Amino acid sequence: MSYFLQLLVSGIVVGSIYALAALGFVLIYKASRVINFAHGHFIAIGAFTAYAVATSLGLSVWVAALLALGFTAIVGYFTERVFLKPLVGQPIISVIMVTIGLASVFGGLIHLTPYGSGNFSLPHFLPEGGVSFAGISVSYPQLLAVAFTGVFLAAFGWFFQRSTIGIAMRAVADDQMASMSLGVSVEKVFALAWAAAGLTAAAAGLIVGAISGLNLEGLVGIGLKVFPVVILGGLDSIPGAVVGGIIIGVLENLASGYLDAYIPGGGTGDVFPFFVLLLVLWFKPHGLFGTEEIERV
Amino acid sequence: MRNPWARTGNYKTSYAQDTTIFATYSEQASLVVFLIGMLVLPRFLIRGDMQILDLILIYALAVLGLNIITGYAGLINIGHAAFMGVGAYTAALVAPHLPFWAVLPVSGLVAAVAGAVVGIPALRIKHLYLAIATLAFQLIFEWAVGHSPALEQGGAMAMPRTVFLGYEVGFKNHHYFWYYVTFAVLVLLAFAFRNLLRTRFGRSLVAVRDNDRAADAMGMDPGRTKVFAFALGAFYAGVAGALYAYWSRAVVIEDYSLMISIKFLAMAIVGGLGTLVGGFFGPAFLELLDINMETFSYWIKEIYNPPGVDVGSAIRPLAFGLAIVLFLIFEPRGLANWWRLLRSYFRNWPFKY
Repeated sequence: MSYFLQLLVSGIVVGSIYALAALGFVLIYKASRVINFAHGHFIAIGAFTAYAVATSLGLSVWVAALLALGFTAIVGYFTERVFLKPLVGQPIISVIMVTIGLASVFGGLIHLTPYGSGNFSLPHFLPEGGVSFAGISVSYPQLLAVAFTGVFLAAFGWFFQRSTIGIAMRAVADDQMASMSLGVSVEKVFALAWAAAGLTAAAAGLIVGAISGLNLEGLVGIGLKVFPVVILGGLDSIPGAVVGGIIIGVLENLASGYLDAYIPGGGTGDVFPFFVLLLVLWFKPHGLFGTEEIERV
Repeated sequence: MRNPWARTGNYKTSYAQDTTIFATYSEQASLVVFLIGMLVLPRFLIRGDMQILDLILIYALAVLGLNIITGYAGLINIGHAAFMGVGAYTAALVAPHLPFWAVLPVSGLVAAVAGAVVGIPALRIKHLYLAIATLAFQLIFEWAVGHSPALEQGGAMAMPRTVFLGYEVGFKNHHYFWYYVTFAVLVLLAFAFRNLLRTRFGRSLVAVRDNDRAADAMGMDPGRTKVFAFALGAFYAGVAGALYAYWSRAVVIEDYSLMISIKFLAMAIVGGLGTLVGGFFGPAFLELLDINMETFSYWIKEIYNPPGVDVGSAIRPLAFGLAIVLFLIFEPRGLANWWRLLRSYFRNWPFKY
């Protein structure tokens, strides 16, 4: 039982990272119907910016984290302005391919820095140890990760419900024509959605850095794990991203905890989310909270 | 008087004439010259060049398959390398028992079955959702091979040496032999590809791509068409996979990974989606770019080579990604469009009209 609970708790921690990463992904999809294959690279850019600032400039990790959030948001903003804007109105395949191409470009650029290969860990900025009850132990960084995710989600919730820009973004997601005629700048909203996605991606990268080490492949891999999360939650649903993220994180941990023993080589956790993805696509393609598309001739 | 060698006007009087592939004798002649040129080309190339040429032709074959799925039927496929992998692993398993000319179609058929299975979700979902389903298939394929002891867990599975009509393929003639085999298969399948759109099935592919609800209303079956498109495209990929296995002498999972699937999509787009010539231009362009970037990275290393940085592994994805992005922004119709412009310029040459 305690083994199960332990898996559950660490699943929730991993899941909150996925939830944050998926949040940005859904933001982009909701605003501009673009699937962002470069999302894992945004996560990596955020994490390594923080690492570079903290180690080479010697600033405190908190300042480095803030700078990383800002920098990645700017990267997201300019990505939309420079690469996505010329493709508005092009077929889906062009838009998907341009994000795949960008993923390759970002990967190449990160490889030009010393962070392309090897493992890095952010300087310790949290107290060691953790709490344990009923045989389950949770480290402080893990607790902080969940708390941080909660704060982030609450902040985004407020942003979408109350702030003018957030309401404009929801309006654009709902109906571009109507929001345009009401004076919302759709272009600006697209760019802001990308900036916000960069911000949340960087936050996810920072939490990975706080819990475990940073590694380019691992961070980019989170960008792929986002797909099961958003399909389960519904591609255009922000609560879906959060719920889906936590469910996928838990399922992944349970799968590797209970099934690895039966599979030669193990590693079930890496692939289990994609089985879930296929099952969801077969039986409930629009996920838990996604809007069903109704087509008429 | 009509000149059969040049297009001096529109002399077509029937539907049959309108659907001919070759409008003039000069087009037929240039195709013959091209084929003969390809046949004698190996005489002038060294082993290293042949290796690259083989690779380009094999990739061209796979990209033709992707062009059926993504170009004709409009189904985004991020799992094409997995179809190729299915073919390659089938080849590795049956090659000890069958001659190579039987292995190729068998691999193609097994891959086609895999393609049809992957295509089944297309009955229900489309566009982005389908693309994500193929992505999941790619990742599950890689994982499944990596955890199968029967497939060496993704490690190298050696391919047997080929003997054809008493002619043993060894070190010296390996790339030359497989060049001719690949070329023959490619001509055959490219011929089928070119004629696909003249068939009922090919036209329904395009109809389903452009508007599947309208196609449904016209009496076509969009679901079945999509599944067949996947099967047919996967057949091409499977044959390419078997050829790749023979060509590289071993089957390794890295050759059929997500990166390669992305490469195929990039090749199809850079070449020009849904075009025959694009299926050749795309692989040639991106492979040659890749090789040149390797040389270029040595040059970069003279200027920028800090410790802990592998410039070689940075420059190649950078150039690859930039090629995709720049083509999509500035020439979405790909290299095939340049070819079309070039041809239309020379159509009436040296006359102005």
